[in-house]
Order: sequence, then structure tokens, then C-alpha cells
Amino acid sequence: MGDEVYSQLMKELKEGKYVFTGELEPEKAGDVEEPIKAARELLGLVTACNVTDNPQSFAYVSSLAASYKIQAETGMECIYQLRCADRNRNALLSDILGAGVLGLKNILALTGDHVSLGDTPDAKPVYDLDSTTLIALIRKVVDEGKDLHGNEIHNPPKLHVGAAAAPGAAVLKAEIAKVKRKIKVGAEFIQTQVVYYTEVLDRFFKELGKVDVPILVGIFPAKTYAQADFFDKYVAGVDVPPDYLQQMKETKSIKDKEKRKEEVDRVNIEFFTGFLEHLKDTPAAGCHIMAVGYPRIIPELKKVME
Amino acid sequence: MIAQEQKPIEEILGYLNGKRKVVIVGCGGCATFYHTGDKKAVREMAERLRKEGKETTEVILPLGVSACEVEMSSKFLEKKRDAIKAADAVLMMSCGDGVQVVGEYIENRMGVTIPIVPANDPLGLMGGGPRKYKETCQACGQCELGKTAGICPLTACGKGLMNGPCGGVREDGKCEVDPEKDCAWVKIYERLEKMGELDKFMEMREPHAWSKAKRPRMFTIEEPVKPVSAILSSLPSYLTLLGGPKYEEEE
Repeated sequence: MGDEVYSQLMKELKEGKYVFTGELEPEKAGDVEEPIKAARELLGLVTACNVTDNPQSFAYVSSLAASYKIQAETGMECIYQLRCADRNRNALLSDILGAGVLGLKNILALTGDHVSLGDTPDAKPVYDLDSTTLIALIRKVVDEGKDLHGNEIHNPPKLHVGAAAAPGAAVLKAEIAKVKRKIKVGAEFIQTQVVYYTEVLDRFFKELGKVDVPILVGIFPAKTYAQADFFDKYVAGVDVPPDYLQQMKETKSIKDKEKRKEEVDRVNIEFFTGFLEHLKDTPAAGCHIMAVGYPRIIPELKKVME
Repeated sequence: MIAQEQKPIEEILGYLNGKRKVVIVGCGGCATFYHTGDKKAVREMAERLRKEGKETTEVILPLGVSACEVEMSSKFLEKKRDAIKAADAVLMMSCGDGVQVVGEYIENRMGVTIPIVPANDPLGLMGGGPRKYKETCQACGQCELGKTAGICPLTACGKGLMNGPCGGVREDGKCEVDPEKDCAWVKIYERLEKMGELDKFMEMREPHAWSKAKRPRMFTIEEPVKPVSAILSSLPSYLTLLGGPKYEEEE
């Protein structure tokens, strides 16, 4: 792993700037108009945006195609999420090389949810690699111009690779060991799963200890009660505080649309101001704001960090 | 052993639609342990098919005679050669291995080409017992247990990861794919921790070499075991079973 920097994301992280990243979700559709619209709204608010790869194993527009279109049409730098799920090592290598050809500069290497969680549970599950070996593959491609079997790659792509971490993991010691292993094989940055509790965050940083890579902490200001409820019920390792959930639930009863939006924003700003104030005292290098479809909240949250 | 369960009777009857004379073949191996091909299962199936107006012939294989071991099972098939020749279909109460091995025997050695259909769904190589079994090995051709604290991640991990756990571990260390099952990688971590070998966890394991699972796999045994002499030489071991300590299954 050299000191070369290929992306704005890595440049800002290396300069020690506090970095915000956003999240864009391609849909089950024949176009990427929605994430492109969202990317335009996020321009100037975040350094780069993750483009999700079939979250929960529902099949959507390919994150590779979406990342390219979004980056090309809006200028928003993309963090191309690449899951091991549903692709063997050949398909993964093809997508990595494709990402380079399409001008993408950042990949977030993920294992990915099992197909049984998605909307086509009879699909054949594929996990030829895992997040660790995918990081190792990307490093080998970028650093040595070789694949996992040592086959030469002509004019290898210049890419940065990041990894995920789950601060709220049910068995934290195993998660911490895995994160360290991913750093050891060459992850250059970490983005965490959503965290709501400062205690969860503190425990994670304490157990992890000092590491050499920047960590962006994931937060999820929910636009609706349903979003917050979904995270609480269905996303592994994420607990949403009951007070916040209750306040979000109460916004549902506000009839006037504008007033409801104002109240949702108030609840989020109140909750996340406390969280972000705390975040300042942690080793976090930035914040990954997964406010999908909710860009108006980001300037308010950024104010706290100034 | 290969765990198995009987298919829904509607599916079986669907395969036998329009077939009047049916030979039902059981299995004295795994299917006897799982009650999917023992004498009782074969007889119950015959009775069910007769209710559907079918004429049945039963081939019951005694305990120890697996349908898939054709040297032994063929002796019982040969006794019913005439019925097989006259049959419209053969219903195999075994795993898919038995279906195909017996199918090939009937086709190639008996010269009879008729539909041979499965009565069971095989569920994997399982160990344990006497009541609860679990899949622990998938016979992948390249055993990884030396790197993973003796727990196969390809089989015990819902995703078959070589470097877990994934981010989906549930409360109490259960699996993302099935909350009833343990996360294999939490188990591997904890076992390595107890043995003072966590450094093994921190080392990245290379991706599994699937090249040894090129299907269909073939195997040749240079000196085949003679079934009768194998049984005779094992007799003293079977006798120890009678006096051994009682095994109690964990709940």
C-alpha cells in the first residue's frame, strides 16, 4: 500500500480534514434518476457518497453502473459499495477492473446479506470471498497488478478500499478482531454501521484501540418513523433509543405536512446534536450520514461539528 | 449419514401419474436411520400407492445394505428382476445417490429403461444423534478444519465464509440467516480464545479452493472391501456396543 492518493475522499482523510460522506440508493428501476437527484442535493454537503449494492439482498440497479452514472452526471465522488454476496472471485475482479475503467476511485468492500433476507430467497447463495479476502484482492490488484492467483493485470486500476465495522455487534470481541484483520490486509478507511448510543461508540473505540486508518462513524437521521423502526427491528447490531423512536412516532400524528417536517427535523437535530458533540471527543475522522432522501438535515448537523 | 425426509405425497403421486405397476425400493443405510426407506416406510408407501389403484412390488433392503452400494443392493434387486422388467416405474425410498446408482444398475445391468423417481429429499451429511443431527461437513474435497478450530466455516457458517463473522451476528451469537443457529465464527473465535490461539483468527485464511469439488467427482478404490468379510471382522466391535456406557443427548 503506497502513499498515493487517487480520490478526494482519501485526500481529505489524509489531510486530517473532518470528512462527511452520504449515501445513495439505486432502486429496482430502469433508471437512476432518484439517486442522481439526491446526489445533486448533496453536492457541497459531503465529500463523497456511498452507492449501495443490493442492501438486504434485494436486487436493484447495479451499484457499479449507478456509481458511474452518478459520478459522471453530477460530479459527486462515489464510494462504490461492492458485496461478495452473489459474485464469485472472477465476477468480483471483473467489477473491480470495471470500476477502474469507469473512473471510480473508492470501493467499500462488504460481505453482504444472505439472499434469504431478500425478495428472491430461492436464489443460489454465493460467498466465494468474504470482506477480508475481497480487500486482499483489491490490494493485490492495485498494489501488485495481480489477481488472487497471481495472474498479471495490465495497467491495473488505481483504487482505494474501505471496510465496514459494526460498533454495536452482538459479539464485539470477534467483530473487533475482524476489523483489525481487515486493516491488516489493507483497508484504508473504515465506515461504521449506524450508531445511536454514545456508550456503544465509546466501547467500540476503547476495544479497538489505536489504529492507523481513519474511521467514519455511521449515523442515520431518520426522515420518517418507519425508517427508524426498520433499523431498530431488522438491522443486525443496531438499536434505536426508545425515546427517539417515540418522538419520531409522535410526528406521525401531525396533519400539516410542513409542520410535520419541522418536527421531524427538530427531533433529529436535538438527538444528533448531543451525539455529534460527543463524537468530537472520539477518534472518529468523520461522519457517514446515511440520511437517504433527507439531505436538508445535513447542513444542520454539520453546524454542530464546526 | 445422509439426512433425509419424505417428499409430500402429492409430489410423489405426481411423478407416478399414469404408472400402474410400481416397484418400491427401500434402503438399509441412511434411509433406515431416518425412517424414509426402512421396512415400515416401504410397506406404508406400498399401502398408500395401492389405495391409488397401483400394483406394487416391494424391495426391502435389510439394515446395513445401502441402496447406493450396488454390490449388495443388486442381490435384492435381482430377486425382483421380473417385477422390475414388468414395472412402469421404480420409486426409490433413499437419497438421490441411491436413486441414481440403482437407476444405472436397472438400466445398464438389467437392460430395463423405465422412470426411476425419488420419494425423499436428501438434507445433507449429518452427524450426532440419537435424535438430533446437524450438518457439519459438505465433503468439499479440501478440508479446512485445521485452520478453523475444528469447526467447518463452509458448512456451519450460513454464508460459508472463510473469514467471519459477518456483520449480521444476532444477539446471543446467533446467525443472520437463521436465528435458531449459532454463528460458526463466534464459536470458532471462542474456541481459539480458550485454546490461546487467537493469532490464528487474526491471520487471513485464503479463499477456499473449490477446484477439488469439480462435479461430478469420481473415485477409485484399488482394493475394494468385501462386504461379508467386513461385517464379520466388525462383529467384536458391535458386541462392545451392548456393554458400552449409555449416551445421553443434550437438550
